[in-house]
Amino acid sequence: MTELAPAEEAAAAAPAVPTRRRPRGAVLLGIGLVMLALMLAITLLGPVVAPHDATRTSPDSLAGPSAAHWLGTDSIGRDVLSRLIIGGRTTLFITFVAVALAVVCGLVLGLSSGYLGGWVDQVVMRALDIVFAFPVFLLAIAVVAALGPSVPNLVLTIAIVYTPTLARVVRGPVLSIKRWDHVEAARSVGVSEFAIATRHVLPLVLSPILVQTSLTLAQTIFTVTALSFLGIGPPPPNPNWGSMLSEARQFMELAPLTVIGPAVAITYATMTFIVLANGLREFLDVGHR
Amino acid sequence: MLIRLVLARLLWSVPILFGVSVVAFVLMRALPGDFAQAAAGTTEISAEALDTMRRQLGLDQPVWAQYLRWLTDALQGDLGRSFATKAPVLDELVPRLLVTAELSLIAGAMAMGIGVCGGLASARLRGRADWVVRVFNGLFLAIPNFVVATLIVLTAGLYFPSVGIFNYVPFAQDPLANLGSMVLPAFSLALAVSVTISENTRAAILEVASQDFVMVARAKGLRRGAILVHYLIRNALTPVITVIGLQLATLLGGSILIETIFTIPGMGQYLFDSISNRDYPVIQAIVLVTAAIVLFVNVLVDVAYARVDARVRYD
Repeated sequence: MTELAPAEEAAAAAPAVPTRRRPRGAVLLGIGLVMLALMLAITLLGPVVAPHDATRTSPDSLAGPSAAHWLGTDSIGRDVLSRLIIGGRTTLFITFVAVALAVVCGLVLGLSSGYLGGWVDQVVMRALDIVFAFPVFLLAIAVVAALGPSVPNLVLTIAIVYTPTLARVVRGPVLSIKRWDHVEAARSVGVSEFAIATRHVLPLVLSPILVQTSLTLAQTIFTVTALSFLGIGPPPPNPNWGSMLSEARQFMELAPLTVIGPAVAITYATMTFIVLANGLREFLDVGHR
Repeated sequence: MLIRLVLARLLWSVPILFGVSVVAFVLMRALPGDFAQAAAGTTEISAEALDTMRRQLGLDQPVWAQYLRWLTDALQGDLGRSFATKAPVLDELVPRLLVTAELSLIAGAMAMGIGVCGGLASARLRGRADWVVRVFNGLFLAIPNFVVATLIVLTAGLYFPSVGIFNYVPFAQDPLANLGSMVLPAFSLALAVSVTISENTRAAILEVASQDFVMVARAKGLRRGAILVHYLIRNALTPVITVIGLQLATLLGGSILIETIFTIPGMGQYLFDSISNRDYPVIQAIVLVTAAIVLFVNVLVDVAYARVDARVRYD
């Protein structure tokens, strides 16, 4: 064996010093967070960064890309880029509020059902089975059709459709965690059941919830844009990605960017949340499938 | 054994189907606006005529009685009459349902083909093939099917104007042309589903390949192909079947979207026409029938599961 260089010698002599390994999923999580930050920054700054008024029409319709209109204009001369930026506000607003509502409902249902067990569990789980029997998208269409398309109704619909999945994700781990020793210990010193459920069980299921929330955000982007695409999304004149894509189809051979713009935006948003979910899953080491 | 399993599963879905029917009923009765007015199809109707209509539709009775009447009719195969065309809903629904089912099945078969091949390639070849498949999967998982469909229509319009995108041909008229007109819609529907299948196949194959019995098979000199077919694929099939079953709901829901893009006269278009016409019996029927199909397929998945994997037993 040849002589070792000093550095290698040191390394060979002291193998016990662990090199700080990057946690699994950190890179993916980082990419996801950067993508999310970029999307949120553009959306939140919307009116400031948008080069034009998103609803103002001009005679210059279906124009190609130019210095004034980077992505050209649509069939009634509105700036496509500005509409994408402002449209993102509507789409993402509905998505975030709806998923937040679904997470809260899912947490309450899943936690009470898993922790209390017995007839509560039976009733909640059977009710969720009924919702699971519908294809998500069909249920969403039916509920929006029943309630009428408006932003609050869309939020409500999405929440109804995605609550069951979140409730199941919460219930599963709760079923086993409630039998753990620390729960028994807390109960033996007289901690109230409510405090046990919220302070000693809930924190332990936060990781799977976080992952599922991110996945639900991705699915919600799909559902919201698809409903808007079908004309039962948020009402005009405010643009949103789904209706932009749908409206652009009429003249898409003349101005392909009017279709490609929203297509890229929708895909980018979905991908952001999928990357985030996968990063979180590995980073938090949530059970691999 | 198998018959008992099927029966038990079917029985299990009865209360769920019952709940589904309540949801479908309540959803349509909760609608803002007057049911009778929607049934008449016009707002210019005299008060007396509206009253007669209410009585005809049984709207003067309590809600639970209305529900019972609707349910007993539905159980006898009578899903009411369409407000718009006055024809029985079932007669209008069945041919459209068949079109949607055809589209979903073709898409499902495509997704399975693409998914299993992709999953197999990435699990067995590893290295670059694995990497390529996973990048594709990541991309196609993120592009919603209606975006894929729109981009396909755009590409065809720009570069292949001779390809007829919107030429739907009924199956009875020309089966071959019908299949041809289904290829692109089914493909746009299949892509996202194939990703799930591909990832599950990959995970299942990797899992099975690391087990002892596979090593034994290799050690006693079994050919690679034989190991692949008899050991790996058969064992990896179980999770894949489950996924395909679960994805059927996605396919059915997605068909509704894709049909409107490619103007295929299936259930999706029917649903949209009835929503804009406020044709409630039709919406109710579609919701009910689709949920019933999803439940039935879940039973089939359970059974297939037990057939493929001898370890699965339900008691």
